[in-house]
Amino acid sequence: MLLRASGQHTGDDYDLTNIHGLDDDIIPHAAALLAYADAFYADEPSDLDRARKTLHAAIGDAALVDAAAIVGIYDAVVRVADATGTPLEDYKAEISEDLREELGINDFPSARA
Amino acid sequence: MKSDIDYAALPFPIRDNIVAAQRRAWARLGAPGTWWDGPTRVAIAAEAREARTCKFCAERRSALSPFAVQGVHDCGGALPEAIVEVIHRVVTDQSRLTRAFYDTALENGVSDGEFVETVGVVVNVVAIDGFTRAIGLPNFALPDPKSGAPSRHRPSGAKTDRAWVPTVAPEDVTEAEAGLYGGLPGVNIHRAMSLVPDEVIGFFDLDAVMYLPPTQVRDFGTEYRDLTHAQIEFLAARVSAINQCVY
Repeated sequence: MLLRASGQHTGDDYDLTNIHGLDDDIIPHAAALLAYADAFYADEPSDLDRARKTLHAAIGDAALVDAAAIVGIYDAVVRVADATGTPLEDYKAEISEDLREELGINDFPSARA
Repeated sequence: MKSDIDYAALPFPIRDNIVAAQRRAWARLGAPGTWWDGPTRVAIAAEAREARTCKFCAERRSALSPFAVQGVHDCGGALPEAIVEVIHRVVTDQSRLTRAFYDTALENGVSDGEFVETVGVVVNVVAIDGFTRAIGLPNFALPDPKSGAPSRHRPSGAKTDRAWVPTVAPEDVTEAEAGLYGGLPGVNIHRAMSLVPDEVIGFFDLDAVMYLPPTQVRDFGTEYRDLTHAQIEFLAARVSAINQCVY
């Protein structure tokens, strides 16, 4: 939900359905970032190699390191929340209700646990 | 496998603060914890890696319900079955965990503190192994375990309220765990592992450099990384969505 807050700061209106697979030029290199995240979870290691090369060529060394760090730490953060049964704060759930419905997040198993 | 965190094999540098934080995490991983000793913590970390290739986990993950298939985990054999089950589910099927998963672990003899520390060890390994894989390197060897006894400190202010596990609200922190929320606002995700304060301190030490420190997360007027806030949150949102995580 901080993506929306970030857009509000810069005056950009992000199409948040992008996290489910669409491209959008408003976020630079969104398609390459998305492909990188998806390839991280692909069964075939060569998918990740390809996606990494594409992203690296697009954003450079230091930003690739940032991207790898985000993927690594968020792959862990989701496990902290789900393994301990930690819910979204009430105020966050309230302000993001429409968005979560729109993105289908309320259908995730962890939303019903 | 090299046991030290060292990215010299890459043709470009890794930020110094990432290397330093990952080395601290590796040192913590091998040292005695709160409920587990060093050898057990390293065994938990090894089991977290083992889970990735566990055939039973793969079958269960592809089943409509995790309870639809029965079987035995491919495991290293160093840990009790109940702990192996916790580790493998957290690594391979975290989006379908329910309160019953936690209750079953307790019924099978895992204490709440042991459960939380197990999760803490697992997520450190997941974060660091995930980073190395994402950047294009193999896993580092796990650290050598250190001798010594666990501290067995349970925060007196721990209460079961918002999560399955007992947690410590910022206002209930006592002198004994004074550093628990140092610099953290104590929102739910910070509180999640607070029954074992060292796991909160350790994990968010890593989080602050791999993601952003809390003071920078909402400071949209300044970019602290080579990715912008929007790119960071876009990527994070995608990872959460793939993992079907509400948080």
